[in-house]
Amino acid sequence: MPIVVVGLSHHSSPVTVRERFAFSESAIPVALQQLRQSGIAAEAVILSTCNRVEIYASTQLSASEAFAALKRFFHEHHNCPEFHEDGLYAMGEPQSLEHLFKVASGMDSMVLGETEILGQLKKAYDLALQHRHTGSRLNKAFQKAFNVAKHIRTETNIQRGSVSVGSVAVELAEKIFTSLGDRSVMVIGAGATSEKTARALLSRGAHSIIVSNRSFDRAELLAKELGGRAIHFEEWERDFAQIDIVISSTSAPHYVLDRQKLTPLMKLRKNRPLLLIDIAVPRDIEPEVNFLENVYLYNIDDLQAIADDYLRQRHEEIVRCEAIIREKVRSFFPQASTGSMAGDSQLAFE
Amino acid sequence: MLYSVFLWRRGFREDNRINYFLLLSGFILHTGSMVWRGLALQRCPLGNLYEAMVFVGWGMVGVYLLVGFGARLRFLGAFASAVLFGSGVVSLLLGMELNSGAAPETRNGLASLHGALILLSYGAFGLSSIAGVMYVTQERDLKMHRKRAIFSLMPPIERLEKVMSRLLLAGFILLTVGLSMSPVLLKREYGVYFKLEPKLVWSLLVWAIYFGLILLHGRFAQTGRRFAWGAIGSFVFVLLTFWGVNLLSHAHNP
Repeated sequence: MPIVVVGLSHHSSPVTVRERFAFSESAIPVALQQLRQSGIAAEAVILSTCNRVEIYASTQLSASEAFAALKRFFHEHHNCPEFHEDGLYAMGEPQSLEHLFKVASGMDSMVLGETEILGQLKKAYDLALQHRHTGSRLNKAFQKAFNVAKHIRTETNIQRGSVSVGSVAVELAEKIFTSLGDRSVMVIGAGATSEKTARALLSRGAHSIIVSNRSFDRAELLAKELGGRAIHFEEWERDFAQIDIVISSTSAPHYVLDRQKLTPLMKLRKNRPLLLIDIAVPRDIEPEVNFLENVYLYNIDDLQAIADDYLRQRHEEIVRCEAIIREKVRSFFPQASTGSMAGDSQLAFE
Repeated sequence: MLYSVFLWRRGFREDNRINYFLLLSGFILHTGSMVWRGLALQRCPLGNLYEAMVFVGWGMVGVYLLVGFGARLRFLGAFASAVLFGSGVVSLLLGMELNSGAAPETRNGLASLHGALILLSYGAFGLSSIAGVMYVTQERDLKMHRKRAIFSLMPPIERLEKVMSRLLLAGFILLTVGLSMSPVLLKREYGVYFKLEPKLVWSLLVWAIYFGLILLHGRFAQTGRRFAWGAIGSFVFVLLTFWGVNLLSHAHNP
């Protein structure tokens, strides 16, 4: 029985369409049951994330019958009238298997090479497995997909590096400090990007966070969310001696930290390395401070340039990854390329 | 050395296990040749400048193989191999073995230990200066916002500083123990505990330089780039003056 996939993703549909076709976790077992009882699928897995909704099915139907039946199921299950611009795509073997392997490897993700999708795919598969909606075909396909994702992660650069400002900041910190485990972080100005950056640092072990903001209430709120401590904006210099990483994102029209202010503070810190991340526009930190010894200043453009470069490197790996996937599909599923469905696909975004 | 140049050209983005195993192979062959030489000459192979230089190189690789065993500091080898290659070629080209003159008494166990400890200390200082070069390179890349700083597999600068200070301390202890044997050896050879001898004065100067460096780092917060340049500069001084002082010395050759 060949494996088909029907679904929609960020490539084919806007969020307004994707949200209409999304399955809640609690609704998935019921939907899988319906798919099998109706005879559309002998085995099925439903993957529903914010960027994609897909049904993987092993079916006895012909390619065109399976595609039509699954598309109809999508619309009926969500009580949506069929319309041409829904962006639903359908693939038969071997494209369906190649697509599954690409999804598992993060090659079809919005952020190329991201790893979160692999966890989501494993969760979707486990849910179907628990409710006994998978069999030998889908079990093999998904297990191989997880293996291929691991192979691609270790053998290529598709997942290498950080592609968001927050994770680039973490990577920079790891190039300066031996460990982030005993580092203190100060957030000056409680903006959304600084919050994400602070969270990224915390996730890598940074042990304490101090939040300083013109609005003390906002500082307290963010400090509470991050498990840190809030201080009044006028008092940030007082705690500076114990700080290793500063994330600044105030809306001040002038520099909050300049060379004159920082020079005596560095002496208090006994010249320990200091990473300054200035994500404010206009900038909060005078560029001259980068000339001070043991001070490393990066602004939003510097971080973005690194993230863009990583993304470019990931894109350069696509051809290599696709070749690996094609070869793996050929070796794991030799009948897929020559089976009755070979070449059957209806790509909405073609 | 050629592989290190390749790693450098690739922006230090490749895992350099190959470099580690190349140095390990070299170290095994080198150890074998030193043992063979020692057995053939019936003495510790520290009898002339050539042997001394070779021993310092052997010590440096030995320490590198220990600290580079974990992946975090393996890149030290990419920088170390350049220094090792340079010193090896210079030793061979200058034909120091032929110009060494009378060999010191190295059949004596204490004298051999004295020489070995001091030469090992130079090895530790050498490796520390190599960590210093890595520090300066990485620190500059981070300051200048060069992408190589983040894309390379170089260790964090804080770890490099820690390695520098530990190697300096290890070298300093070896040097201190080695030099503390000097009065006994002088008494045995010349009947005095101290002799105003160029090599001895130079060794005390080297000891004072490294003592100052360690003191400034530990007590006066002279950290980071200054400390790295201190480690590099001190070893460059040792390298540049080592041969000359040995040639001037009657008691040491080396």
